[in-house]
Amino acid sequence: MSEACTVLIAEDNAADRLLLSTIVSKQGHRVLVAGNGAEAVELFQQERPQLVLMDALMPVMDGFEATRQIKQLAGDELVPVIFLTSLSETEALVRALDAGGDDFLSKPYNKVILQAKLGAMLRMRALHSTVLQQRDLIVKHNEHLLTEQRVAKAVFDRIAHAGCLHAPNIRYLQSPFALFNGDLLLAAFTPSGGMNIFLGDFTGHGLPAAVGAMPLAEVFYGMTAKGFSIADVLREMNQKLKRILPVGVFCCATLLHLNLHQRVLEVWNGGLPAGVLRRKRDGTQHALISRNLPLGIVEAERFNDHCEVFAIEEGDRILLWSDGVPECSNVQGEMFGEERLRELIAASRHENLYDSVRDGLQAFSGEQQDDMSLVEIAVVDEASLPRQSMPVSGSTKQSPLDWSASFDFRASTLQAFNPLPFLMQWLLEVQELRPLAGTLHTILTEVFSNALEHGVLGLDSALKADANGFAAYYHERQQRLEQLKEGWVRLSFDHRPDQQGGALTIRVSDSGGGIPQHVLQMNTPSTPFSGRGLRLLHELADQCWREEGDGSLNIRVRWQHE
Amino acid sequence: MSEPRLDESVLMSLKEVMEDEYPLLLETFLCDSQERIRLLQQAIANEDAPAVRNAAHSFKGSCSNMGAALLAGFCKQLEEAGRTAQLAQAPALLSAIEAEFAAVRELMQAPH
Amino acid sequence: MPISSIASADGQELTISIQGRFDFGAHQEFRDAYEKVAVTPKSYVIDMKGATYLDSSALGMLLLLRDHAGGDNARIRLLNCNSDVRKILSISNFEQLFQIG
Repeated sequence: MSEACTVLIAEDNAADRLLLSTIVSKQGHRVLVAGNGAEAVELFQQERPQLVLMDALMPVMDGFEATRQIKQLAGDELVPVIFLTSLSETEALVRALDAGGDDFLSKPYNKVILQAKLGAMLRMRALHSTVLQQRDLIVKHNEHLLTEQRVAKAVFDRIAHAGCLHAPNIRYLQSPFALFNGDLLLAAFTPSGGMNIFLGDFTGHGLPAAVGAMPLAEVFYGMTAKGFSIADVLREMNQKLKRILPVGVFCCATLLHLNLHQRVLEVWNGGLPAGVLRRKRDGTQHALISRNLPLGIVEAERFNDHCEVFAIEEGDRILLWSDGVPECSNVQGEMFGEERLRELIAASRHENLYDSVRDGLQAFSGEQQDDMSLVEIAVVDEASLPRQSMPVSGSTKQSPLDWSASFDFRASTLQAFNPLPFLMQWLLEVQELRPLAGTLHTILTEVFSNALEHGVLGLDSALKADANGFAAYYHERQQRLEQLKEGWVRLSFDHRPDQQGGALTIRVSDSGGGIPQHVLQMNTPSTPFSGRGLRLLHELADQCWREEGDGSLNIRVRWQHE
Repeated sequence: MSEPRLDESVLMSLKEVMEDEYPLLLETFLCDSQERIRLLQQAIANEDAPAVRNAAHSFKGSCSNMGAALLAGFCKQLEEAGRTAQLAQAPALLSAIEAEFAAVRELMQAPH
Repeated sequence: MPISSIASADGQELTISIQGRFDFGAHQEFRDAYEKVAVTPKSYVIDMKGATYLDSSALGMLLLLRDHAGGDNARIRLLNCNSDVRKILSISNFEQLFQIG
């Protein structure tokens, strides 16, 4: 038995109206009566009855028009209208259905049938109203969720925008809410003018996929700005995710380091589709294959931070994408697919690589899809990019201006530790050196890797003369470093104030006898892949010389009072 | 005549539904019916077929509710005449309705 | 049932068979397949013969099983993987964590 409700009876015949209203009120409902359609509409507006019994033919306004108006007034709410007409009258039946009638009751009235029909209609109404309530609840929840996402995105954007995705050599395609599909794209300049680019894809969707993004972004920006190597960044990212994410949630990712003055690309890929490095010179392509487990799965001891190294030239392009690209589907539900993507890349003209892929995707799927990320990075002259200043902790103390210090880094330390970020932080305690942070970082990077690779590991730069030799060089570097038993690099710093300002002298020596004399002489022609670094030192430093005694390399950088 | 003038079983169930208000129902019906007959007379005089049809339809409905089956039958014939706009038989049908209604009224007003 | 499990006669090995799409929709069923069993097996076999598709949440579920089965000491073999499934496992380098045959 349905609950008592208010029933509106519209009937112009007084006897029928009396009879009907008596039957309905005896079934426990409240009754409203109207003698014509216009009265019925009026009463409906005033009292909002839950159900209407409607005669078809009435003076002033007939039942069809009254039903139309009542249905319109009811809006989303279901107000069942039962027409008081015989089923044998086809024409009236059709008009009643057209007007929105839900059922029919023919004369003579039968109270049992009337009761059954009222019951059925009220149950239908209750069901409908439950559906409406649930719909409204879902709408409310969804609005709530969207608001939360907007807030979360605003917070996240503040961190993400610390980066350099806007740099002129980067183009990317990503929905503003890709974060909630688990996609994460970050880019930042390194202190020495290079660039790190991270593309990640967390498992899952929504908030669970987005929570890991924040700590990753912090690690990425914080460590990149301080000049850590991408292997260091990766280890930290992996460890952080392993610690905070539940088992089963992880991040497939590619991390790139573009060293623009050494023209070196370092790549680490764990679980993302293989990106592409495309050479401008001959159009050849190298796949940037996933060789590692995604981030956040294994413990630090098992994590492999080994990166692949490629020689790059100005004009080369790197294209990365997330799973969403091959998985993007068209209206027929067909997937774009890896093969179509590779064909598109192979067929596109070099300078249109990104556009071809983007246009191909749009032509295929018809619209931009939410859960895909596509990014292209062009290798450019580092001078064409803006420089980032280095973040420094602690700033108001008085600068230490008159000091010297020396550090020895021996074999086992050289294998596992990159001292440059720490040396940089420490050097920048001299506030006057801060505007020179990028220069200092570049110099330290150059001299340290020179001392390590040539002095300690005994590698020959001549190897790097062509692309094959280049790869072999870095392979050999890795091997020798792993087997290193003895050897050392010494970095000495001496800072003194003078009348104009101050001068920092950096002295580098190594167990291999230091830098050969001929290397510092700039009249030797430099090959594409070597010698560039030392030439750079001459440009950056105020003075640069070799000590005959220990073969140490000395670099002096001056600053002046404002 | 196959149809009864007043269907006793219908009247019984009306009494059951209406209880004390049964006499009021009868009175309302009789009063309303006179108005319907007046409307019919007017519509026939004006040879207004749709008006004939509507008034006859409405009267037919309440007659059937009240168990006046024979009267409902005449109303149905008149409604059909109105629907097909063939009003030749209308005055004769109206006379039949008036006579039958008088008889029904007498029965309804008789003490129960 | 798209996912079913059966223990070997001696209870030492549990074989979980996957049918159809192995994605987030199978989450609860997959968990039940190794949690709601009477035996404590020493090794696991995931029979992928009937699996048509596998997504990253399925990889997550495999990691959960690995964790359940003892983490680095877990012995889990993935058998009868079709080429699509094998490709996804290999991009993620899951052969470092599971024996794939």
